Amino acid sequence: MVASNWWAKLRSPSVKYSLLTLSGVGFISGILFWGGFNTGMEATNQLEFCISCHEMKDNVYQEYTKTIHYSNRTGVRAVCSDCHVPKDWTHKMIRKIQASGEVWGKITGSIDTREKFEAKRLQLARSEWARMKASDSRECRNCHSFDGMDEEKQINRAAKQHANARRDNMTCIDCHKGIAHNKPEGMTEDEAGG
Amino acid sequence: MNKALMTVSALGLALAGMTGTALAAPDWSKVAVRKVAVFHPGASGLEWVMKGTEHGGAKGTKKGERCTGCHENEKTMNIDIAADRILAGEKLEPKPVKGRVPIIMVNVQAANDGSNLYLRFNWKEPAGKAAVMDKDNPVKLAVMFEDNKVVYKDDKGKEVEIGLAAGCWGTCHTDARTMPGADDKKTKYVTGASLASGNYYDLIQWKSGKGGKAADGYVADKRVMEGGKALVSAEGKKDGDTWTVTFTRKLAGGGEGDIAMVSGKSYNMGFAIHNDHSAGRFHHVSLGYSLGIDAKADITAAK
Repeated sequence: MVASNWWAKLRSPSVKYSLLTLSGVGFISGILFWGGFNTGMEATNQLEFCISCHEMKDNVYQEYTKTIHYSNRTGVRAVCSDCHVPKDWTHKMIRKIQASGEVWGKITGSIDTREKFEAKRLQLARSEWARMKASDSRECRNCHSFDGMDEEKQINRAAKQHANARRDNMTCIDCHKGIAHNKPEGMTEDEAGG
Repeated sequence: MNKALMTVSALGLALAGMTGTALAAPDWSKVAVRKVAVFHPGASGLEWVMKGTEHGGAKGTKKGERCTGCHENEKTMNIDIAADRILAGEKLEPKPVKGRVPIIMVNVQAANDGSNLYLRFNWKEPAGKAAVMDKDNPVKLAVMFEDNKVVYKDDKGKEVEIGLAAGCWGTCHTDARTMPGADDKKTKYVTGASLASGNYYDLIQWKSGKGGKAADGYVADKRVMEGGKALVSAEGKKDGDTWTVTFTRKLAGGGEGDIAMVSGKSYNMGFAIHNDHSAGRFHHVSLGYSLGIDAKADITAAK
């Protein structure tokens, strides 16, 4: 009874506020809501957020800091989200919702020791490899592309391998596993691109 | 001794005379030079080469692509392999070597006169001195050949022409002597070797010690340092800081494990230098190269 009154009130026209006031307040509220939502979304894309959990900081982050995606000649750095979170809104939202499962993992402590992490490393890696493969290495391609490569400037083996990959319709992650984190024990020859 | 001349006229000289073979050594100043880099390979046996989880190029090798395609710069002929990191023990080398260089550039020349193949290797002795492993021989040089018949099965059982793709690596296994944890009596070998089918490597070697020694053998199910009758002579000398080693080999072969070479065909070869009294796997090795007898190849032995 009370609920239906409340619903009826919501649906009835305002007798107190003008359409302009209502529209203005709605518009500003929308901006504030959207801005806040987006800021929250961006905050969870920061490297600092990712390594605020010791599971990431003590394991994959330490490995990443030794790679070219962390430190290089030009100073361009790819942080966690550049590789692991899509840039476009739709895929980003889907990924963020999927990632909420990781919160449950954190609560239950599924990888809260080095031993547990290592025991699960292959499964975690395979899950991410599959995601990247399914998207044709979309996040890699945000920065890298075959068309943008100057084979003359590449070392021989890079030029040769990329020419082969192009010919065989391969995607970045087919070969570039273990480039930012250690390769897991137990990966197969097929997973190595062979 | 600055100009140590160490000559081996292995039995072959006499044989050559007996068979009437003329030893028409070429004028090397007129023979094209092919630069080849030899490098410290660490413990990178064939099993490592073929393992994609360890070696990014394994997928190419399994398709029969040659090591040089990725690892050799076609302009400078230098190689893109982190031999310095291997030597230092950062990868693939559980026993880091101090006092040795990672890469030596070698000038290789080849010629033939219809009867013999002549091979000449020339390199500047690098500075540095590591622990002595072979006290009798400051330097050794071995060459392996095969007649496009050496194969190795990959993880899916597919045959790869490994002699063509990888040269000597067809004999280099991670369970052979001086490899980490390997049986000290197990020599180089070819998997599924057969002298009858040609799945083996012909081998010739020159040693600098004790006035020089030569060997003519082969690598099949094990390494055999005798039985060949193709090697006519192996000579080595050091002028100043430059070593020169020259082999004269009968094209036709004739002994056990000798491949017969004919004009117009090419073969696969690789070579290794045991520099600075080194032994076993602590040599400097070349990738695989083709050797053409009057045929276009990486190294052509023309008349």
